[in-house]
Amino acid sequence: MEELTPLQHKETVYEELHQIAPGAGEEFAKAWLSMSLVLKTDQLDVWANVGIRIARQSVRSWEVAAQYYKTSPSIVTLMPFNRFEEWARAGESICEDSSTVATCYLISSPLVLKKLRARHVAEWATMGQRLYKGTWKSSTLACKFFENSPQLTENLEIKNLDSFVSFLEYISRRSYDVATDCLNLSLDIFPILGEADEEFIALASSTAETGWRQVKNLFDATARSLPRIQAGQRHRFITLADRLRASEISNVPGTMLDMSHALSELSADYHEPVLAMSEDLLLHEPQAVPEFIKTTPQTLGRVSVSQLEQWYIEGVGILKQNHEGGLAYFRLESSTAQGMLESLSASVEFDRVQELMQMYCQALAGSDIEVAASTELAEKRIGWFSTDTPTTEGTTVYVPNVADRYPTKDENFDLFKVISTHQVARLEFGSFHFLFDLPATQFSNLRHELEKRVLEANDTHDDKTIEWVTDVQRLFNLVSDRQLALDLFTLLEGGRLDSRVVTEYLGMRRSYEKVQEDALNSRPNIKEMTARETLVEFLVRVTLRSSSNVAIPQEYHFEAERLASIAKKILLHRTTVEDTAEAMLRAYAILSKIPNREIEDEEWHDIDTGEQEDYEITAEDDENTIEQILQGMGGNLPEQSSETETTDDKEYEPSQDVDYRGDFKPEMVQLLEQLRLQQGDGSSESGDPQQITQEMLQELISNSVEMEASGNGDGTEDMTAELAENMLKEAQMSSQPTNPNRGQGPLSHIDEEGGEIDSEEPQTFAYDEWDFRADDYKPRWCLVREKVMPEGDPAYYGQTLADYSALVNQIRRQFELLVPEMFRRQRKLEDGEEIDIDDVIEAMVDIKTGASPSDKLYWRRNKVQRDVAVVFLMDTSASTAEAIDESRRGEEWDAPDDPVEYMTWLRTRRSEGVRRSYKRIIDLEKEACVMLINALESIGDVYGIYAFSGYGRENVEFYTVKDIDQPFADNVKKRIDRISPLHATRMGPAIRHATAKLDSHDAKTKLLFLISDGRPQDRGYSREGVEKEYAVHDTKRAFDEARAKNVIPFCLTVDKNGHDYLAAMCQDIGYEILDDILQLPHRLLYLYRRLTM
Amino acid sequence: MTTTTQTLFRSYIIEEYHLTEEPYYVPTGDEIQLFEAAYESKIPVLFKGPTGCGKTRFVEYMSYRLGQSRTKISGKDATTNDSQDSKNLPLVTIACHEDLTASDLVGRYLLQGDETIWIDGPLTRAVKAGGICYLDEIVEARKDTTVLIHPLTDHRRILPIEKRGELLEAADGFLLVMSYNPGYQSALKDLKHSTRQRFVAIEFDYPEKEVEAEIVAHEAGIDLTIAEGLAKLGEKIRNLKEHGLAEGASTRLLIYAGRMIAQGVEPRRACQVSVNWAVTDDYTLQASIDEVIKSIFE
Repeated sequence: MEELTPLQHKETVYEELHQIAPGAGEEFAKAWLSMSLVLKTDQLDVWANVGIRIARQSVRSWEVAAQYYKTSPSIVTLMPFNRFEEWARAGESICEDSSTVATCYLISSPLVLKKLRARHVAEWATMGQRLYKGTWKSSTLACKFFENSPQLTENLEIKNLDSFVSFLEYISRRSYDVATDCLNLSLDIFPILGEADEEFIALASSTAETGWRQVKNLFDATARSLPRIQAGQRHRFITLADRLRASEISNVPGTMLDMSHALSELSADYHEPVLAMSEDLLLHEPQAVPEFIKTTPQTLGRVSVSQLEQWYIEGVGILKQNHEGGLAYFRLESSTAQGMLESLSASVEFDRVQELMQMYCQALAGSDIEVAASTELAEKRIGWFSTDTPTTEGTTVYVPNVADRYPTKDENFDLFKVISTHQVARLEFGSFHFLFDLPATQFSNLRHELEKRVLEANDTHDDKTIEWVTDVQRLFNLVSDRQLALDLFTLLEGGRLDSRVVTEYLGMRRSYEKVQEDALNSRPNIKEMTARETLVEFLVRVTLRSSSNVAIPQEYHFEAERLASIAKKILLHRTTVEDTAEAMLRAYAILSKIPNREIEDEEWHDIDTGEQEDYEITAEDDENTIEQILQGMGGNLPEQSSETETTDDKEYEPSQDVDYRGDFKPEMVQLLEQLRLQQGDGSSESGDPQQITQEMLQELISNSVEMEASGNGDGTEDMTAELAENMLKEAQMSSQPTNPNRGQGPLSHIDEEGGEIDSEEPQTFAYDEWDFRADDYKPRWCLVREKVMPEGDPAYYGQTLADYSALVNQIRRQFELLVPEMFRRQRKLEDGEEIDIDDVIEAMVDIKTGASPSDKLYWRRNKVQRDVAVVFLMDTSASTAEAIDESRRGEEWDAPDDPVEYMTWLRTRRSEGVRRSYKRIIDLEKEACVMLINALESIGDVYGIYAFSGYGRENVEFYTVKDIDQPFADNVKKRIDRISPLHATRMGPAIRHATAKLDSHDAKTKLLFLISDGRPQDRGYSREGVEKEYAVHDTKRAFDEARAKNVIPFCLTVDKNGHDYLAAMCQDIGYEILDDILQLPHRLLYLYRRLTM
Repeated sequence: MTTTTQTLFRSYIIEEYHLTEEPYYVPTGDEIQLFEAAYESKIPVLFKGPTGCGKTRFVEYMSYRLGQSRTKISGKDATTNDSQDSKNLPLVTIACHEDLTASDLVGRYLLQGDETIWIDGPLTRAVKAGGICYLDEIVEARKDTTVLIHPLTDHRRILPIEKRGELLEAADGFLLVMSYNPGYQSALKDLKHSTRQRFVAIEFDYPEKEVEAEIVAHEAGIDLTIAEGLAKLGEKIRNLKEHGLAEGASTRLLIYAGRMIAQGVEPRRACQVSVNWAVTDDYTLQASIDEVIKSIFE
């Protein structure tokens, strides 16, 4: 065959096709031109020939060929030719099987191939082909597959699509109807599956293998379940279902429906934790999973998620021991499950009552205290380590995260309250305000005498004087065994506070006694203790108001009675912390005499704490006390002193804390307080002798037994160093807010050399500026130059009114409504300022004619007299030249991505700007201004309109559009036209100047309306040129000044990011951020009306 | 004209209303001395203080007390047949409100039959009778109304009655007293300086816990232990001011609670209804205060 030109070739093919079917020929001819642009001659050949072959295949296949030609142009551009050829041949191959299916394939191709990568074309075509088995039902399925392929390919990866088709194929072997139904349903499922396509197909396939009849139910159930589940959790749900099926749960679809139904009753936030627990449960017992999920609406209705977790863990425990029992547990059909739920729901979690407890404690303490969970304090690592005992460090009360000791919520809450009240009591009744020099109320004072003698005694040994930083430390310095002293101090102080609380807060008595009783019952067994410990424990029980007998070795009954009477002195009176200190010394003296020996069984003998006579302490006793304590100090080293008595002495074990009283660390708290104080009053410069350094802190901490008591007995150097550091930090932190940037002198300003400016020229005004860092004004810092706005075209005014005629009319009506309110007198009142003579005459006439007269004869002036002066201050900074809201501009505002193109594009835009085919912010400001004038003229308020801008502090431009005293005239109209974007925004001086203008005017209501488009900024209107707060603070200050002059400022901004700084700038003055700048004219007038009503 | 039928109510002409018994008042400072001094030198007095701390009670007490001392003096000088009327200083109390007009204070013409008659307003009556005129919550009144009292408060001591073309000279015993609660200071409701600088100001605050307990016990007729509890409650609730509470619980509220208790209402409930729910609508705050109440009362 000789070479044909493409055109000739086209003719040949056309002829050929036309002979087979004219329709196919037409489509070919139509497509040829666009194909010839893309394809080379030989490629065109290939393309045309495939069509011819298709057309020749069967009687009806010319239709397929026609479709083939019709579709080709939209496909050929999507892929390289070799792929295109694959596509064409696939069509041909499908057509060999069925022309109907081939048509479907061709029709859906353009949409599918937009999503599908070209290299998957053949794969995709084969999938459809696989579904076709030669029957008409299979051709329907295959067609359906191709028809829906656009959606399927959109939602599924090719790999998953393939397995989905395999699944369909598998099902279709059983039933084409089911396969078709599944395909239909899958269209609803795949878009909402999220990430779970693979899992779902796996689930479907495996379900199909076990029982193909269930497959449709599964699809049905999935389509209904998924929307009920939080989008992010759907894949987990599907996976869960798949794994349930794998563990041979019968009726997976039904279970899915049940589970999703249960989940839909929960808040979506709970889906994640519930599914997580379910996944875990799956590992233990798959059968329990559906039960667990099904009961969650019930369980979560009663307990929180974290509590549910506890409940769940308990259930798993049961499941491990007893399979049936576990299942019943999760079905909520066991009393263990119910009981567990009950006790969990009865517990009180701190998070839930935090706010309430915070206020409660604040009310009780009368100072600013916080309430927080103990874990927070432990994290600070400043000396408290326990995460679940209540305590306080002086400013914050720390309580456990949860109270769950009792079976009911009320009781647990009471426990919470007792715990917090006890901690607050430490603050309220001054546990930490121990002063060494303050006398006690119930005891004679041994402290000073003792200190003197201790010092004397020490002098004989060496010159060392006892140093002290805190008063508590000074007290503990008097004894040799600090641990015993601290124990005694703690338990006596705890007892004192308890008794104070119970007498001051009568309502607490019952819950307090209950908690005390429980504390008593949980005390360690006294018979396992050594002699000295026994007596300390005895004392603990006395402070807990033990009513039963306590076993005490017979030998020490006398001492026990003495101790009890000392304690009772504290418990029975309104005592102070100094009493506790004195009592501690006396108890210490008694106890230090007692050897810490083991007690034999036969020695125990009950002692009745209730009935004993009060022992009056005599001067002789006091002397003995001092002697005894000094004897202890005599050895100077505590280890020696305790070993001098008997050799079989046990080491003294610290007494176990009473649970609800929690940690008590008076020494640490006093230390922290001192540190805070030290930070607070900045005594660092004054060289205070009590200045605490880190070294001193470390020494203190290592000496203090309060640290060791907390279980960190090692007390290594590192540890104390870390603690000291943290404490210093803590003290700094809490004192910072009250003491911002003390001691920093005013820094010089980079851009801002030079000093005051004088306003020598006429129409210039100097204003101060606020420097928030220096906390002072910079005198005469800014120069405002007042200028009259140049005049432009007066037509602008009329034109704007005409453009907005609808809005103008509406506004006018609204404003005119204000007028009658102002001027009309209220007539026909029964009571008022004056008699209305008209009404009286009418009444007289009525009387004379015998009718009953009205008694509404008075009138009254309306109560609000409108007397408003307002200044509108318009920001005309450069940024107002920006076009408004780009999204509104639609298609034409498509900025090209390429930088070069962008620049040309921008230039065209800019030049367009001259013609201003779009609106700028300033244009809207101007329009708003026109409308304002129009409205204000109608109600006769006094107003001024000014525009401001400027560059630098000596050049704040303040343009008058309409001066406040000036009547509205043509020149004002002309000036509006000339308002245009200028330079920067130095708001402060502009506001000050506007305020000055208003101030000279006498009106009842004075308003200052600032219309701006962004944050205040100007050269040097910041500290060191970077801190934006400087400008914000100055502006705020200017607003405050305005308010002080009885001017009400209002700030209206169109800056959508305005929330960042406006809240700070306009703390308590009104402001509004316009979302839609086109609303500006309308909104401005609305606001004005509302503000002046 | 007098009828013999028993009247069902007691009604007084404003300036003839006297207190017949000494009102109960416990001084918390030198306020009595200050007030007496101001009264003697005819300087108007401004009371500042939170609501329900005893401002009104104090002015009642002072009017009685000053009335007593005046009677004694005049009794010595003049004849002893003093009538009941002169025994007390008249006390005219005017509660100020937003719509209080000048006519409401000074007086107005009314119609009676076919003629108009002039009716004196309460201020005019007090000026004529020479009593204490007490303007309660003065900031509530319109500013133009407040200006009306200016000539009364300086050396002139006159009240111009515009509509009748009169100038009324204040009688000897006349004194203007205003009360003012700086708590709700807002730009709208503040006293003009030209007004407030015509007064000596006495500041009131809630009494000390012990004194307050005594007052509550007396006023409510309950025993001191319960009253102490109430005073404690007051103290605790006032601690919450600035922490969500706009105003602390007033002594008056505590007295109300006490009276409810005296009537047999269970203390916790009484405090809840008359103190807690009166001071706040905030749920959390109520819950917290409830806990405080439960801690204090059994």
